[in-house]
Amino acid sequence: MSMMSRQQTLFSPRRKLRLEPFSIVNTAFLLLLISIIVIPILKVLVDSFDGMASETVFSLFPRRLTLDGYRHVITRSTIIRPFFVSIGMTLAGLLVSMTVTSLYAYALAQPKLPGKKIFIAMAMITMVFQPGLVPLFIVVRNLGIMNTLLPVILIKAIDAYYMFLMMNFFKTIPASITEAAKIDGCTPWQVFWRIILPLSKPGLAAISLFYMVLFWNQWFEYVIYLPKATDLHNFQVFMRSILIESETQGYDGFVVASQALKNAIVVISIIPVMIVYPFVQKHFVKGINLGAIKG
Amino acid sequence: MANAIISSRRLLSTGSPGVLNGKTGKFRRLAKDILEHRLFYFFLLPGAALLITFHFVPMLELRLAFFEYGLGGIGDFVGFEHFRTAFQGLGFPRAFRNTLLLSSINIVVQMTLTIIISLLLNEVVNARFKKLVQTIIYLPHFLSWIVVASLFILMLSRGGIVNAIIKSLGYDPVYFMASQTWWRPIYLLALAWREVGWGTVIFLAALSGIDPEMYESAKLDGANRLQQMLFITLPHLFPTISIVLIMNLAKVFNLFESVMVMYNPMVYEVADVLQTYVFRIGIQQHRFAYATAVGLFRSVIAFVLVIAANRLTRKMREVY
Repeated sequence: MSMMSRQQTLFSPRRKLRLEPFSIVNTAFLLLLISIIVIPILKVLVDSFDGMASETVFSLFPRRLTLDGYRHVITRSTIIRPFFVSIGMTLAGLLVSMTVTSLYAYALAQPKLPGKKIFIAMAMITMVFQPGLVPLFIVVRNLGIMNTLLPVILIKAIDAYYMFLMMNFFKTIPASITEAAKIDGCTPWQVFWRIILPLSKPGLAAISLFYMVLFWNQWFEYVIYLPKATDLHNFQVFMRSILIESETQGYDGFVVASQALKNAIVVISIIPVMIVYPFVQKHFVKGINLGAIKG
Repeated sequence: MANAIISSRRLLSTGSPGVLNGKTGKFRRLAKDILEHRLFYFFLLPGAALLITFHFVPMLELRLAFFEYGLGGIGDFVGFEHFRTAFQGLGFPRAFRNTLLLSSINIVVQMTLTIIISLLLNEVVNARFKKLVQTIIYLPHFLSWIVVASLFILMLSRGGIVNAIIKSLGYDPVYFMASQTWWRPIYLLALAWREVGWGTVIFLAALSGIDPEMYESAKLDGANRLQQMLFITLPHLFPTISIVLIMNLAKVFNLFESVMVMYNPMVYEVADVLQTYVFRIGIQQHRFAYATAVGLFRSVIAFVLVIAANRLTRKMREVY
């Protein structure tokens, strides 16, 4: 709460709005900055509707409007399948990681948990020392879960950084609230489910976004751990083979993609992130700041 | 209730004269604490199991770095043989050089841009415009490296808009992604495009902590906005700048995915970094032992850097 009031005073203009030269230059610079970010994305969007084969001109509108790109995405099973893999794996990953991470974080937020230090240290070590690609690969192979979707989710299911952020959210909830709930006869599980989780919504929303983006954007794990199960590869891996490998490595993709299709694929891969982003964006800066300050 | 029992027991145990009694009291209290928290150990279970399986068990596999590895599994102990091979070969020193070079240029470029943008953004009076800029510049951080690489490749490919401009000016098209001259600048540009906006989050948080009265009194003393920025805002950012710098230095050896999606055999000479090298040698060519050794070398340096960075930032915090 005190955080909020501070933000409010921050946003209230501390200087009078005047058209100084400085403000004009500043605004111009920031507009330039925005366009550097927006233009490549906008260009892809425009080109995804553009029926002309070449990319040679930059125009704000498609020269010949076509929906072929999107039609191909929907009608070709080779394209739509990876898309559904991505959706399913993002939801599954989100569910698993949020469950595992929040439980771990909530346990560590208990002030008097015996052996807490061991569990904190375990998470901390993962942040400072990574055993590396090959040892992890050998372990996954020895577990016999190669060419399944398990390693893709399980390896990323608990991120120490997000876990500590979440632990800090939980710690900011006053002990008096949980004590009161206990006196009213809540079991520890009910306290967690009915009181702690609803109270930590902004933090949980922020971390859900991070996990969601992490699982949606994942591709490398598919390439390494599912080399023979290409039918389980997600949209990012598919996009890589169509857009990157064909361009940089002379890769002969299984779909000869038109420019419109290529651009449509990129647009579709961005859409889910764009949909969720505004809802959670308002939470995350506050959430991150809070976590950073308390941590 | 439970607290009352514990405290009464504590009273009893401290009241008892025998050392042994005190000890058993302590154990009893611990046992009771553990019993009371038993549910929370179940909470920890899934997370701990995953951390152990995918982090601590792989650490055991690091022993491979000192052994032969063949079809039959682990073979003879070879000591530091793989490390010697690495240093005497061509691939490893090249990857090491590229890692250092790309990371250090990247840190300088990104830090400078991030600080400038944060300072300018902080001067924006209109809250709605500020919010808009923030919303837009944070966005690329949430796009995958595949998308970022695709955006750049679409623009820079043979049929892309950049080459169209070059051709219209009467020059020959450039194959940017396969050019040893162009690859590094483009790579660094892509890195900056994705991360600079996001980097401002931490600086803007630090800036929001500056007391507005400082500006008021500076204004009374006749300081203009540029002077306020240089003599109030910037000095207040120094602790944050040094901490972010140290944190970035600690991450020098982490370049990986971004390179993976943008490089190709034509530019290995300027683009191959340690992680991509380990990936090719280890996962693609199945030279597990050698790749583990190179990976271990990388992990140890990264570890030392992170620990040193932590020490330094802690010292910094004491100073400021």
